[in-house]
Order: sequence, then C-alpha cells, then structure tokens
Amino acid sequence: MSHDGFAVRAWQRWLAVGLGLAILLSLPSVLGALPAADSDVGATELLEQVRDSGEVPFSGYAESVGGLQLPVTRDFTDLVDLFGERSRMRVWWRGSEDWRMDTLSATGETDLFHRAGATLMWDYEDNRATLSSDPDIRLPRTADLLPTELGRRLLSEATAEEVTRIPPIRVAGRDAPGLRLQPADSRTTVDRVDVWVDPQSGLPLRVQVHGVGSDTAALTSTFLELTVAPPSESDTSFITPTGAEFRFEDVIDVAAAADQFAPAVAPDRLAGLDRRTDESTVGALGAYGRGVTLLAAVPIWDEISRPLRDQLEATPGARIDEQGVYVSVGPLGLLLTPGSREQRSWLIAGTVTSQTLADAATDVARIPVADG
Amino acid sequence: MIRTRELTKRYGSILAVDGVSLDVRAGDIYGFLGANGSGKTTTVRMILGLVLATSGEVQLLGQPMPRGGRKALPQVGALVEGPAAYAHLSGRANLALLDAMGAGGVRRTRQGRIDAVLEQVGLAEVGRRPVKAYSLGMRQRLGLGAALLRQPRLLVLDEPTNGLDPQGIREIRELLQHLHANGTTVFLSSHLLAEVEQLCTRVGVLDRGRLVLQEDLADLQAPTGRTVVHTPDYDRAHALLDGRIEQRDGDRLVVRGADPAQLNAMLVSDGIRVTELGPERRTLEQVVLAATDTSSHQVGVTR
Amino acid sequence: MIAVELSKMLRRPRTWVTILLLNALPTLVAVLLAVTDLGPRPGSGPAFLSAVLADGTLFPLAALAIILPLFLPIAVAVFAGDSVAGEAQSGTLRYLLVRPVGRTRLLVAKLVSVIAFVLLAVVIVAATAYVVGSLLLGDQPLAASVSGTTLTPEQVAVRTVLAIGYITLSMLGVASIALLLSTLTDSPLAAALGALAFLIASSLLLTLDAAEVLQPYLPTRYWLSFVDLFRDPIFWRDIVRGIGLQAVYVVVLLGAAWANFTTKDVTS
Ligand SMILES: Nc1ncnc2c1ncn2[C@@H]1O[C@H](COP(=O)(O)OP(=O)(O)O)[C@@H](O)[C@H]1O
Ligand SMILES: [Mg+2]
Repeated sequence: MSHDGFAVRAWQRWLAVGLGLAILLSLPSVLGALPAADSDVGATELLEQVRDSGEVPFSGYAESVGGLQLPVTRDFTDLVDLFGERSRMRVWWRGSEDWRMDTLSATGETDLFHRAGATLMWDYEDNRATLSSDPDIRLPRTADLLPTELGRRLLSEATAEEVTRIPPIRVAGRDAPGLRLQPADSRTTVDRVDVWVDPQSGLPLRVQVHGVGSDTAALTSTFLELTVAPPSESDTSFITPTGAEFRFEDVIDVAAAADQFAPAVAPDRLAGLDRRTDESTVGALGAYGRGVTLLAAVPIWDEISRPLRDQLEATPGARIDEQGVYVSVGPLGLLLTPGSREQRSWLIAGTVTSQTLADAATDVARIPVADG
Repeated sequence: MIRTRELTKRYGSILAVDGVSLDVRAGDIYGFLGANGSGKTTTVRMILGLVLATSGEVQLLGQPMPRGGRKALPQVGALVEGPAAYAHLSGRANLALLDAMGAGGVRRTRQGRIDAVLEQVGLAEVGRRPVKAYSLGMRQRLGLGAALLRQPRLLVLDEPTNGLDPQGIREIRELLQHLHANGTTVFLSSHLLAEVEQLCTRVGVLDRGRLVLQEDLADLQAPTGRTVVHTPDYDRAHALLDGRIEQRDGDRLVVRGADPAQLNAMLVSDGIRVTELGPERRTLEQVVLAATDTSSHQVGVTR
Repeated sequence: MIAVELSKMLRRPRTWVTILLLNALPTLVAVLLAVTDLGPRPGSGPAFLSAVLADGTLFPLAALAIILPLFLPIAVAVFAGDSVAGEAQSGTLRYLLVRPVGRTRLLVAKLVSVIAFVLLAVVIVAATAYVVGSLLLGDQPLAASVSGTTLTPEQVAVRTVLAIGYITLSMLGVASIALLLSTLTDSPLAAALGALAFLIASSLLLTLDAAEVLQPYLPTRYWLSFVDLFRDPIFWRDIVRGIGLQAVYVVVLLGAAWANFTTKDVTS
C-alpha cells in the first residue's frame, strides 16, 4: 500500500476502474478483429462443396436479419416477420429428410420436424401440433432462412462464371472462406450474394444478400454456433404431448391455397423467363427464372386482392399506372394488376426489375378467365 | 492520544479547518471549544477517518489516520454530530448490531456489556423499546452508550450534551468524570464555555477553522497577580492603597498585588470593612474572547 | 459482517412488506384467471401464462415472468439504492465506519444482502405461486417443455430452481447500479430513481432497432432467457451470456462504487 496522500489514491482507484472497463469493452471488438485464416480453395471447388453439403449432419444456432418491410396484408404476416425481423433458429440436421428446426421467440417457440416428405409443426403457445405433407409450392418459412438452406438454394443454379472468391471471415468460431455470386442476368435486382463456407464440411455458415444500389444487406443469415456431427435421433423426433391439440392440414398457406384453387392457370413463359420445372407446372402459381433471377405469378380472388391493393397503394413510393400498382422493397418487386370482369387480378412478385414485372403483367393480361 | 499536524480541510472554496495542530495527551479531558461553524465537527471527522484531510496528518493512538483505523478505532468510542440508530429496532438490538459489526465485539460478553452500558447511561428501563419511541435525550444517551460499549481508551464526543436537559447534562458530566477517573481519555467538542470550564482539564479553542489557543485549564485560570476586594469603605481604602487600585466598580476594587492574605491583614488592621476578598483569576470566557479577538484581528489584517 | 447485514435485512419491516407486495400481483392474476377462465391470447402476455389454465403447477414460472420485467427490478432498485444512502441519511453510516467496518467490506456485504433479498423474494413468490396455482388453477398435468417434449416432475423442479437462480443473478446489474448511485448520493430515493431511470432506458432501447449496437450490453437484454431453461434440450447460449453480462456489470459498477466510496468524505 502506498504512502501517498489520499487524493492520489482516489485518482489511482478511478484509473484502475476505468482501465478495467476499457478492457472489458474492447474485448469483443479485439476478438472480432482477429484475422481469419484463408484457405486456397478455388471458387468452383467451393461451389461444388456447397451443393454437395445437403446431407452433412450438423446441429447449431443461427440468426437471420431481414431488412425488408413488406407492405402486405394479414394473410402474409409470417412473411413480414421473416424478411423484416430477426429470426432465431436452432437446428438439428441428420439429413435433408430428417431434421428439426426451432424458431425461438421470447415466450415460446415454433418447431418444424421434417421427416420423409412430411412436416410437423409444433406451436407451443397454441399448444398445437400440425402435420402436413409438403406441397409443391408454398411461401418461404424460417427454415428456408437457415444459412445452409439459403446458401444452397441461392447458389444452386449459379454458373462457374458467376462466382468468385472473397476474403475469409470467422463465423461460429471457424475460419470460413467466402464465395461471391454476381448474377449475369441483367433482369435481376440482386446485386450479389456472399456466402461464407465451412471448408471441411461445405456447409454455408453465413449468407448475405445485397440488392442493386443498396449498401446494407437485404438479408443476412449466420450461424452463431455450429457442431458438425450427427445429432441423435431423439433430437429430431416428436411425440405430441398429452393435452395438446393435433391437426392434419392439407393447405398450409395462401400460396399453396392459391396454387390449388386459383381461378386460372399460370402460363409456361412470362416476361421471357421460363417456368421452372423443379416445382409443379400444372398449378395456378407459376415460378419463373433461374438462379437468383426469380419471378412468381398467381391469379388471386377479389377478396384477397382488394385489401392487398389498398395496402400496396398506401405504401410510400408505390407507383400506380394502367399496369397496376407497383411497389419495391429492397431487391424485391411486387406488382398487382388491375382486375376487371373479364380479367382476374394477378400478383406478380420477384427479384427482377420493374420493367420485367411490367412485361410479365402484359403477358398475363392475355390469359383468359377460367370459370370457377 | 490524538495528535494532528497542520490539519487542513477545504470544501470547495470554504476553508473549514485551517492548519490545526492538536495535542491531546493520555489522561486529559480535552475541551474543544468553538462557535457553530468553526470546524469542530470537521476536525473530529478527520480524526476518525470519516473525512479525508486536504493536507496535514492525524495520529490516533499512535496510528496514522485513516490508514491505521483498523488498529486504532476499536479502542475509540465516538459520538459525532448527534446520535443515530435504526429506529425500528430497540436500543438493545441497536447496540447488539453495532457490536457485532467490525472487529472487537466479543460475542460471549456482549449481553453483559450491553446491560452495563444501558445502566451507565440510564436507559436500563427502556432498552427494549424501539428507538423511534425515544426522546432526543434518550437517543443521545443511547449514542453515548454505543460509544462506551467496548470500554474504549479514548472517547471522542462531538457536542455530547446537545438536546439534554440540565439534569441529563449533569449526569453525563458525572459519567465522564467517573470514566476519566478510571483512566479513559476524553476529547469533547462543545460551543458551551461553561460546560468545558466545569469538566475539562485542557482546552483547545477553534475560531473560524484555526486553533487559536491550546492550554491546560489550570494555567489559563492561574492568578493574574491582582486581588479583588469588595468593601463598602471605598474612600478609606483608596487613601490606604493609594495608587495600587487599578479599577473600581461600585464596591468592587481590583488591587495590584498577588498576596490576598497580606492585603486583607492590611485593610483589617486599618479598620476597613471587607465583604469579600480573593486573588483575581481570569474566566475562560475572558481568555477565549481575548484569543478570538486577536485572531479575528489577524484575519482582518490578512484580508 | 455479512451475517449482521443479513440479519438487519431480515429484521426490517420493509423487507417483508416488499415481498408481500411482490406476491400480491401474481396472486391477483391467478384469482382473475381462475374466476374468468380467460387465458391470454397465445404469444401475448407473460411467458407460461397461457399454460397455467391447464396446469396450475406451472404457475410459479408464470408468476416469476409477471414480476420480472418491472416489480422485481423496482424492489431491487429501492433496496440497493437504500443500502448505503439509507445508512448515510439516518446517520448510522458514520457509526458503522468508526466501529470500524472497512468500507470495501461494507459495500460487499451490502451487495450480498441485496442478492439475498432477491433470492428470498423470488423463492417466496415461486412457493406462493405453487400453492396458489395448485389450489386455484388447472390440474391436468401438462409437464411439457416449450419444445413439446414431456418433462418429469423432477426435471421441472430442477429447471425451476435453475430459473430462480438465473432470475436472481439477472438482478445483479440493477443492484450494482443502484449500489453505485447509493454511494454517490446521501438520498436513497435519488439512488433508487436513478437506477430505475437506467432500467427504463434499457428496456426502451431494447425495443428500438436503431439501438441494436447497444443491445448486447443492456442489462435487461437477457432477462427473459430463463424461458430457454424450459426448451428441450436447454438452450444455454443466452443464459451464459446473461450471467456473463451481469458479472461484467457487477465488476465494473462495484469497482466504481468502491473507487468512489473508499475515497469519499463521509459528511452525513
Ligand atoms: N460537507 C460540507 N460541504 C461544504 N462545507 C461544509 C461541509 N461540512 C461543513 N462545512 C463547512 O465547514 C465549516 C465547519 O463546519 P463544522 O465542522 O460542521 O463546524 P462546527 O461543528 O464547529 O459547527 C462550516 O463553515 C460549514 O459550512
Ligand atoms: Mg458541529
């Protein structure tokens, strides 16, 4: 103990506290700034690894953050949360046909248990389990935002010319080399997709989607914890607890409903984009395009189109002309065509330019109304 | 027991205590006199390590304060600026809690010591009542009791008789004298001259933060070398003592000469009637007023 | 020293009045639920409250979720804010210090007694809620985790104990802030209000997207993570972070309280 005066000791104590605080505060950024080791893997090789990673078993925790404020009505509220909020996901993946994914909320969770073409959804707060077989077409759900799912999907149709290597970063405690997809198609509004990959397993660890002309990412999804090892079978199985409601559901969302019951059939080609063949080609909802240049079109009933039109027209920046009402949110464009007695309203949406949407609107205007 | 060197405390622009060098010796009952706001409490707080000096040093029972507080304070009992206690607890429970805090309160002897102390300060009857039901005087006694709990070698009491009735003041005075007789050194601050004069053996006078006087009371009150005579026969006395009378105030004469017996014999042999006669001593009041006058004069000069 | 502080805390009427008040709200909620049979809409209201209409033995968790956001931290702020400033205001601080009680030890003892108070309050609230829930609310055992798996009564008990421990630790940040303010002022009210202002600011910033960079550092950030103890398997990530964050608050704020209190003039 020093023999100085007390004023000096007070000064020393405050200094000690200040230093401690500074160290604690700087610790996260110092750790974050630690350089990540690069690997010499090439872009196409990494792309192959990602595409082949679908059956790699793992478990972990991921968060996705969407910056898209979708101006849609209550039929689509899940979508609003998905693309406009932070989603917290736990996942146990034994294979693409045996996995479980929990979406955490502050006071509960919604879990998907997927096994062999069927998905069971457990909603804690509703105390309800819902079983459904996966439809041909459905709206995106949180499981699609998992970095592995999102990364694989976005890269699935990338060509070798479209991808380049970018510097590595550290994700979930791993050094992850990066891959950048810059779509060649001029009709897309996606500027680039950055994916950082675990070089051992090929699992995408972090995915960032940037729209054209925007500095902030439209969508980011990152693993914060990851264990590359098979989870136990009990982790992905579910037994409906006693006292909970159990339901079987054919139609899980409005997209699936529209696909099955809508009053018209989508054409084979729209705005010069081919209809996708990996999904159903007979339903009313048509998906078009390739890679990240995607377009979907669906004819909708008046009951749905009227409130949606009001909502879209009230959105700041909405453009209204004879083609319909057009709204863009980040890289996503939405166009609702005007309906008439001879003509259904079509909702056309996608990661394409407004001109492409307008072309699509011209195309669907020629489709006659089916009598339903 | 207490020794300070050039002790100074500054609160912002206020110089509360200014270069005070106290010297309280073992066996003293030291009276620390000063008007309200002169810095007594601040000095006491510095002595006890509650307030940290701006400059200067304090030695308490040979330990530097505040660093040596762990060694010195267990042997010190203190009352600072009024008593304080947990109002919802009884006097007894307050003492027990306080004793259990910090080192030195032996649990085995606690109940016995509490009983003894409550008896000493005259609270034996009400020890079990909650403190919120105590009068100010009772609280003051309880505070004193807390100070006495560990039979301290040194008592530091800041205005201990505040709020007490005359009867209470006398009891406290007797208690302190009793403790002093048993070897306890007492340091007591007060703004009451009479209290200090009646009780203390040594006096320090504080005036606006400065120690203007520090002496044994006996020395201050030593004879002045003059004698006071009360006589109805002024004219004859004047004739007899021609030139030695320094001052007259009715019957009261102040006569030069330090030997009252000789003066008395002289007056009586001359047939002059004497109603009262004795050596002149200065009162504490005079001493203090003189000391503070000069200091205020000094302050005036330095301004 | 710590024992003395604890006995002082237990002998204060205020301690028991506060605990009584903390119990009042969950009990009122239980009575209302039992009378009206109206559960909160799923996804709204405090955690676990929608489950207690079926299984009353889960009510301790719902009761903790009810008092956690506001009631409990207010009680903690008032208690910790009073700890040093209250002694200063009543004048007993100077007598403690000349006893002598080391200033650092006094601070630590005060923090320990605040933690003990929180633990006591939380345990009593949980126990009362168990009794109230069993008597008034549903009796079909759900015993399901948030993830829909079945938990044995022992598992539920262990996890409830963990939740009680976690909630107690979660109050450390508020307690430390109030304790620091309590050494800065001689007014217990000012210290408590200061801590509450901090708390309200933290809760508000937590709802603000613009404050995202600050959010990992906010003391209330991981409070609701006790729900993670009832997921299956237990989700430890936020629990661990919550405890770590509270530990950082204790270290920094108690350090500041120490630097201030051990070098300040006690003029009360
Ligand atoms: N905490 C404080 N802040 C500022 N000034 C103070 C403080 N305490 C005392 N003082 C000032 O110091 C001087 C001495 O006060 P004090 O020691 O209480 O005197 P006494 O006890 O002799 O009445 C007074 O002028 C008072 O106003
Ligand atoms: Mg005073």
